[in-house]
Amino acid sequence: MSEINTVKSNGTLKLIDGKKYRGYLQADETGVAFYPKGKTEPIVQWTYPRMHRMDRIRRGGTSGEITVILKDDSRYIFDLDYGLKLYDHMDKHWADKPVMPRTRGDELHRLAELRGEKIEVPKKHLITRRHPNRSIGGDIGVYLILLIFAILMVFPLVFLIGNSLKPLNEFFRFPPPVWPSQPTTDNFSDLFVLMGQSWVPFSRYLINTVLITFVGTFGHLVIASMAAFVLAKYQFPGGRTFFAVVTTCLMFSGYVTGVPNYLIMSRLGMIDTYWALILPAFAAPIGMFLMKQFMEGLPTALIEAATIDGASTFGIFWNIVMPNVKPAWLTMIIFSVQGLWNSTATTVIYSEAKKPLVYALNQLLAGGVARTGASAAAQVVIISVPILIFILSQSRILETMASSGIKD
Amino acid sequence: MQQTQSFASRYFKMKREQFQHGLVQAKHNKVCYLFLAPYAILFFTFFILPICTSIFYGFTYYNILEPARFIGLQNYINLILQDEVFLIAIKNTFVIAVITGPVGYILSFLFAWFINELPKWIRSVAVVIFYAPSIAASAFTIFSVLFRGDAYGWFNAILMEFGIIEAPKLWLITPDTMMPILIVVILWMSMGTGFLSFVAGFQGIDRSMYEAGYVDGVRNRWQELYHITLPSMKPMLLFGAVMSITNAFNVSDVPRMLCGFPSTDYAARTVVTHLFDYGFSRFEMGYASAIATILFLVMILCKKAITGLLGRVGT
Repeated sequence: MSEINTVKSNGTLKLIDGKKYRGYLQADETGVAFYPKGKTEPIVQWTYPRMHRMDRIRRGGTSGEITVILKDDSRYIFDLDYGLKLYDHMDKHWADKPVMPRTRGDELHRLAELRGEKIEVPKKHLITRRHPNRSIGGDIGVYLILLIFAILMVFPLVFLIGNSLKPLNEFFRFPPPVWPSQPTTDNFSDLFVLMGQSWVPFSRYLINTVLITFVGTFGHLVIASMAAFVLAKYQFPGGRTFFAVVTTCLMFSGYVTGVPNYLIMSRLGMIDTYWALILPAFAAPIGMFLMKQFMEGLPTALIEAATIDGASTFGIFWNIVMPNVKPAWLTMIIFSVQGLWNSTATTVIYSEAKKPLVYALNQLLAGGVARTGASAAAQVVIISVPILIFILSQSRILETMASSGIKD
Repeated sequence: MQQTQSFASRYFKMKREQFQHGLVQAKHNKVCYLFLAPYAILFFTFFILPICTSIFYGFTYYNILEPARFIGLQNYINLILQDEVFLIAIKNTFVIAVITGPVGYILSFLFAWFINELPKWIRSVAVVIFYAPSIAASAFTIFSVLFRGDAYGWFNAILMEFGIIEAPKLWLITPDTMMPILIVVILWMSMGTGFLSFVAGFQGIDRSMYEAGYVDGVRNRWQELYHITLPSMKPMLLFGAVMSITNAFNVSDVPRMLCGFPSTDYAARTVVTHLFDYGFSRFEMGYASAIATILFLVMILCKKAITGLLGRVGT
C-alpha cells in the first residue's frame, strides 16, 4: 500500500552554510522527508496539515521535484532547488512564501538556528507566473478583449439603472446622458404612486408572483430531486431511455410547446389558475437534468452503506443524498425562480387579479417618454431579484454546472 | 423455411426472455418507479404530450370552438405554398439561428476561457457581468430606449452628435435595420446556461493535465486549448450546443417587445411569433400545431448534426 503511494526523487539539499547533503526526497501519505545518502533517518521532514490527507503524488518536471495533491486540492511542490512551495488551487497562483509546516522540520530549523546554522529558505521568484506557457502579449490581449466586451455587455444594464435614477428633465436633454448628473429616486416613488392607482392593488400582483415562485420552486426541488436520485443511483429498465428523452426536451422551451400546452391545460381545467404556471414548473427538464448529473458524482458507497444499515430508499434520499447535494439545490432554485419570476403568463391566465408582477410592471412600459423613468425603475426591480440570487450563490452554482455535461 | 422459422422463433423467445428479465428487474426496483412517478407524470403531461398533440393537430383544422376536422397535409401545403409571411418567418429564424447560434456559442466559449485565466475575484465579477443579461430576462427592453426613433434615443443622439446622420432614424420601425438590431440584442443575451457550464467546465479540468502538458512541451495557449482543454470539455460543449439551439430557435419575446407585434412588413417575424399569432390571436390551433411540429423536427435534426460534429472535436 505505502509502496504505491510513495514517490522518491534524487537531489541535493543545500544548507545555508554551504553544507550539501546528497540524498533523496521521499513523499508518502503523511508527509515528505529528505533522507541523506546512506541514512535511514530523515534530516528534514514536513507533514501535511492533518485534516487534508494526501490524494495523489506525482514526480514533477525536473528531478528533485515532487508534487503532492491533497484532498482539499491544495498542492505542495517540494523542490530541492527552490524549496517548498504551495500551489493554491482556488486562486490558481503560486503562493510566494514558502510554507512552514509546524513539524519536526521546524524543530530542526530551531535547532539549526541554535547551533548557528540555518536551513536555506528559498528565494522568492521575481515574477511568479501562473501558466509557464503564456505569452505576456497574449495575456494583455485577452484582458483587453475581455474589458471591451465586458463594457459592451454591461452598458445596457448601466443605462437602464441610469434611466431609473434620472429626473424627468434629463430625459429631454440632448444628447441623452448615460448616467444622470443629479440622480434621484423619484422614479421609484412614481412607481409606487402608479402602483397605487392600478385597478387591482399592486400587492396582489406581488403576492401572486411570490406564491407562484415559491410553490413552483419548492415542488420542483422535491419532485425533480426524487426523480434525479433514482435515475442517477439505481439501474432499472426504462431509466436511461427516460433520461435521454428529458435531455432532448431541454431544447423545447415554453414557447414552442405553448399552443399544445394551452390545449392540454384547458382540457384539465387549469386555464386561469395558478396551477397552469406551477405544475409545468415542477417538471422543468433543466433542473432535473442538472440534479441528476450532480448526484452521479456522489459516491455510491455512501448509499450502499446506508442500504446495508437498513435505511429505506426514502430515508437514504432524504437523510443522506439531499444534504449532500446542497449546491445543486441552489442551482435548481435559481433556474426555477428565474423562469417563474419572469413569467408574464399572458396566454394561460386571464383574470387581472391572478396576473403576476412582471406582467403588471410591463404594462407601465406602454406610455411614451414620460413613463420611461418609472418603467426603468420597474425593470430594475424585476431584474435585481434573479441577479442578486445569482451573485449570492455563484460558487455553488458553478460547482453544480461542472457536472452539467451531456455524455454521449 | 424451417431455418427461418426456427430463427424467428428463437429471436422471439430471446425477446420474450429479455422482456421477462426486464419485468423481474422492474419488480425488484418498484421503489424506483414510485420515486420517478410524480416527475414522470408531470413531464409526460407538459412536455411529451404537447409534442404528440401538436403532431396530431398538425393534420387537422381546429379552432377550439368546433371539433377538430382531419384535413391531411393541407396545413403543411398551405404553410409552404401560400403563407408568404411564414416564408419571411422561416428566413428570419434561419438568419437569426445561423448567426446567433454559432456566434453566441463560440463567444460564450471564448469568454469563459478568457475569464478562466483571471484571478479569482475578478473572475466572479466577470461571470456576473457576462451572465446578467440572460437572467435579467426583460432587461432587453432597454434597447427600445437606446434605439428610440426620435432624437432622445441614445443611439440616434450619438450618431447625430458625430455628424454621421442628419436626422434621427426609426431603427426599430424600418424593416432594414430591425434584423441587425435583433441579432445584436440576442447575442447580448446569449451568454446563458451554456456559458455557465463552460465556466464551470474550465475550472473542473484536472490541473495535473496542464502540468503534464508543460512538461510535454505544450508551448502556447492555443495548443493547450486544442490538445488538453477541448477533449476534456466535450460533455459541456454538447450541453452548451443544446442550450444555444434553444436560444437560437425560440426567439420570440425580443422581436415582439422591440419591433412590435406584428412588426412593419412582418420584417421581424420569426417562426415562434408566427406560431403565437396563429395560436393565440387567431386561434387556428391546427395551423399553429403544424408550425410547432416543423420547429420540433428542425431542432431535433439540428441537435443530431451538432452531436455528430462535436464527436470529432479533438480527435
